[in-house]
Amino acid sequence: MNPEFLFFWTAVIFYGISTLCYIIGLVSRKEKFFSVGALLAFIGVIPHIASVALRWIEGGVLPFIEVSESITAGVMVAMIVFLIVQSSVKRIKAIGIFILPVNFILLSWAGTLMKEISGQLPASLQSYWLWVHIIAASTGFSLVLIAAGMGLLFLLKEKYSKGFYEKLPELSRLDDLSYRYVAGGFIMLGVMIISGAFWSNQVKGSYWNWDSVEVWSLVCWLVYGIYLHLRITIGWRNRKLAWYALLSLLVMVVSYWGIPFVAENFHTGFRIEH
Amino acid sequence: MNKIYDFLRSVKLALILFISILISCVTGVMFFPDQQAKAMIFSSLWFNSLLILLVVNIGFCFFSRVWRRKITPVSLGMILFHLSFVLIFAGIVYNSLFYFNGAIRLSEGETLSNTVPQSYDLAEWGRFFNHARLKGDTTLVKLHTHYKVNSADKGVANQILVGDGNDKKEGFVYITNHMDYNGFRYFRDRDGFSLLIILYDKHGRERYGAFVPLQSLKQKDGTYLYTSGTAVRSGSFPFPQDPLKPLLNLQISYSPDPQKERAGHVYFQVWPFREGHHVQGEKIIAKGEAALREKFTAGDYFLSVHEVRYWASMNVRYDPGLLIILTSFWIGLGGMILTTIARLARSRKRQDTG
Repeated sequence: MNPEFLFFWTAVIFYGISTLCYIIGLVSRKEKFFSVGALLAFIGVIPHIASVALRWIEGGVLPFIEVSESITAGVMVAMIVFLIVQSSVKRIKAIGIFILPVNFILLSWAGTLMKEISGQLPASLQSYWLWVHIIAASTGFSLVLIAAGMGLLFLLKEKYSKGFYEKLPELSRLDDLSYRYVAGGFIMLGVMIISGAFWSNQVKGSYWNWDSVEVWSLVCWLVYGIYLHLRITIGWRNRKLAWYALLSLLVMVVSYWGIPFVAENFHTGFRIEH
Repeated sequence: MNKIYDFLRSVKLALILFISILISCVTGVMFFPDQQAKAMIFSSLWFNSLLILLVVNIGFCFFSRVWRRKITPVSLGMILFHLSFVLIFAGIVYNSLFYFNGAIRLSEGETLSNTVPQSYDLAEWGRFFNHARLKGDTTLVKLHTHYKVNSADKGVANQILVGDGNDKKEGFVYITNHMDYNGFRYFRDRDGFSLLIILYDKHGRERYGAFVPLQSLKQKDGTYLYTSGTAVRSGSFPFPQDPLKPLLNLQISYSPDPQKERAGHVYFQVWPFREGHHVQGEKIIAKGEAALREKFTAGDYFLSVHEVRYWASMNVRYDPGLLIILTSFWIGLGGMILTTIARLARSRKRQDTG
């Protein structure tokens, strides 16, 4: 097995065990399992970064072109953001009960789709806008993933009160945190769409072509735009928005990795027709 | 009047429009291929009416709430964010009135006038586009394959010369690089092969020669068939062409040499030409393969392909509203960031004082 695959599957195994710890912690309601889970997740991130770096070095091409590469790099950023949030926001150790299973499933799926390293970056993707686009897309996904995690913690704390639930922040605080991460994600999704539009303008001379990936990214942005309107203008709070944040994540996952998987456009290797 | 005003500034209308647009988008991308979705939904009058109504609603809805109120960082951010939608819409409308979009196709060495409509395969323009803006001519100097910029392979690059008299500009147009001349932007679009076909009489004397651009038809296995015909299938054409009288119906296919550029073999199929008769009813005169510059016998005549050149099609665009639209994106983003930071600061301040 080549080192890249070795690091990749090591990361998957660590995330898998970490997921198990979080599930045990959730069932037993003991917080110490979350600490172990977070530690394993931290250890898992190291080979994860190494596998992405190796692929990049070996291919000399940004590993974000194939769907598997896109998922792998996206999950890597999501894990880094998760660990930063874990260490900077108090009393939310339990958020891993949502983040780890999602990332574990996504990364395992990426493993089944892995292909040999692309020889060369297609000429159409040799653009600085690509960097902005990728960073914004993966950060945006990470932030709304955290927001959905906060939403889940809200719903759990609302229903249960014993065990680790007592140590979670107040419901209003969870609600506010979820909103903040949605707001951050909304901005990053905006940057993603704008950089994509500039990229399209650079290549085709038109900033918007209504292709399926563009429309799905707009759908995601609208979904979170509606969230913000429901909260700020209509005054929705708490349970309704917690559910909304959770369900919106499905749209994100479909949009990011479901649609480019079946649609032929820029993201699957745009080429000029003869 | 008040009822209309209340209707247009209602938040409920905004949400209904958001959700309607959302459902339309999801339907478009889930149930129809890209082109069909564009025709049925995204380019339709009703969908664009929804977008226009949303912009009008955003304008009314938001400015009715901030008018004569104290400007705070939060409200300023919101103003910028919502203003950007109005500006984007204004840019789109302005652009649609003054734009020009044409597809110009040239073989290497060929020059076409920019001012003549016949130079463009397709051309469309806004109601108030001033045709006097189209000046000079365009020459495709050369098509470069595997064009390198700082050792990165940019694929195909069109070396073009655009301008009028002494005011000419030369540049390379490749996938991530367009060329700008007097506000007109040249973008790479399609390319293909163009063959110089020579007709000889039975004594071997040259009678006629012309460059014939070939279609590139994608096959099921992903390879390309380079052939005469239409954009969807191979076919024959009368040869020679204007101003001479046609003598033959000719169908050619080109098989490029994978090792050597501008080399390969040509496959000929020749039928007699009779005015008003289709080749399907005619008996074929000759069919077979020949190398470049090799003579192929076609009844009383000989044919040969003397040279392979490339043709390139480029999109020529004039979009005066583009700057407004692209700038508005940044204004909107700036508004989003400002209002978010201001809200976070405000809630932190409340927590500290509370």
